[in-house]
Amino acid sequence: MVSSSSSSRSSPSSNPSVLIPPTMRRTMEEVWNDISLTTPHHERLLIPSDHQSYHHHHPASSPSFKGMILQDFLAGPLNRPRTISPHAVEELPLLPPPLSPTLPRTALSLNSGLEFEYLRPHADSHSNSSSNGQNTCFIPSAISGAIDGPPSPTALFSFCSKNRLPENSAVGADRYRRRMINNRESAARSRARKQAYTNELELEVSRLKEENAKLKKHYEELRSAMVAQQLKSNTLQRSFTARF
Amino acid sequence: MSRDPLILGHVVGDVLDPFARSVSLGVTYKNRLVINGSEFKPSAVVDKPLVQVGGDDLRIFYTLVMVDPDAPNPSDPTLREYLHWLVTDIPATTNASFGREIVCYECPRPASGIHRVVLVLLRQIGRETVFTPEMRHNFSTRRFAMEHYLVPVAATYYNCQREAGTGGRRFIRDDRC
Repeated sequence: MVSSSSSSRSSPSSNPSVLIPPTMRRTMEEVWNDISLTTPHHERLLIPSDHQSYHHHHPASSPSFKGMILQDFLAGPLNRPRTISPHAVEELPLLPPPLSPTLPRTALSLNSGLEFEYLRPHADSHSNSSSNGQNTCFIPSAISGAIDGPPSPTALFSFCSKNRLPENSAVGADRYRRRMINNRESAARSRARKQAYTNELELEVSRLKEENAKLKKHYEELRSAMVAQQLKSNTLQRSFTARF
Repeated sequence: MSRDPLILGHVVGDVLDPFARSVSLGVTYKNRLVINGSEFKPSAVVDKPLVQVGGDDLRIFYTLVMVDPDAPNPSDPTLREYLHWLVTDIPATTNASFGREIVCYECPRPASGIHRVVLVLLRQIGRETVFTPEMRHNFSTRRFAMEHYLVPVAATYYNCQREAGTGGRRFIRDDRC
């Protein structure tokens, strides 16, 4: 279980959920339902099918939930017995990233820390640049990731295999939102890249034009000097006389 | 909004602090000069380039640093910056082959995304004042310059992506492209 979470960490790409083994998939839905319950905006009820599957797969206390029962979930985030580290709870409303379900708490705190760090350097490095407007919309959209949004069919497709049941819309919304953020950043980088190259070409053009003009002028000067020289001495002349 | 390509491409910011260009730097891969923001395929940058250094006093020595600030993925640059090449004690008016290559040239091979590859020329205070860093990844040009009392005098960068190009829908597989 630890290995699966560490392997998902070592490949920081956009879809770490792929590495989850098939046997864990059902529990992950339940975990994500749980996590969506912890966010302040969500006080959604579990769908009846989720209730049953939760009961079915966690008859007794599972290692990840440490003896928590369904009633405790439904009691709400404030009444929840403290199995999660405070750090993870704070991180969750901001950035609930998809991860291995078997170690939801610790793995979440690790990876959400990673993502949070990722956002911060961007905030620092972009503070002086023209993408300031972009920067301000990264963080709020991450924070508002807890707010419901319509999960796009493409997002759901890309994150679900064909054998799975459709995910809870909150999870899909979070992933959809993350994808949107990443896409926005890529688009901003692409625009910056294009602009930088265009500017460089323009500078190069003006540099070359200047050099061209200078060289032409120099050539003209040399030419006129040569012509003047020729006019002066059109006849054969002794230029150098040897002694013998 | 500044029109300097180094600022627009966020090289100044991610890799360096604003500096004044004072020495010419010409980087040439197989007879093709690097201009800021141009695109090079990995096959074109396999061998080390010819790096021509300007200036006028042969007694002044420069260090050349080549880093990739977008490793392993520009959306998630956890290994920023990855050191590809480090040559030190290059006399002014000469090229990089006159210097000491303390980190050998490793050609950029981006696995995903479009990476910027930045070459920075830094002026040394004296000769043999630069030491080999411990590892290539998580290198920091700023910190390196501070530790060795180096001053950036020129920089250029190009973009590099996978041979086949990026883009297109990616399907969930273990061999991520």
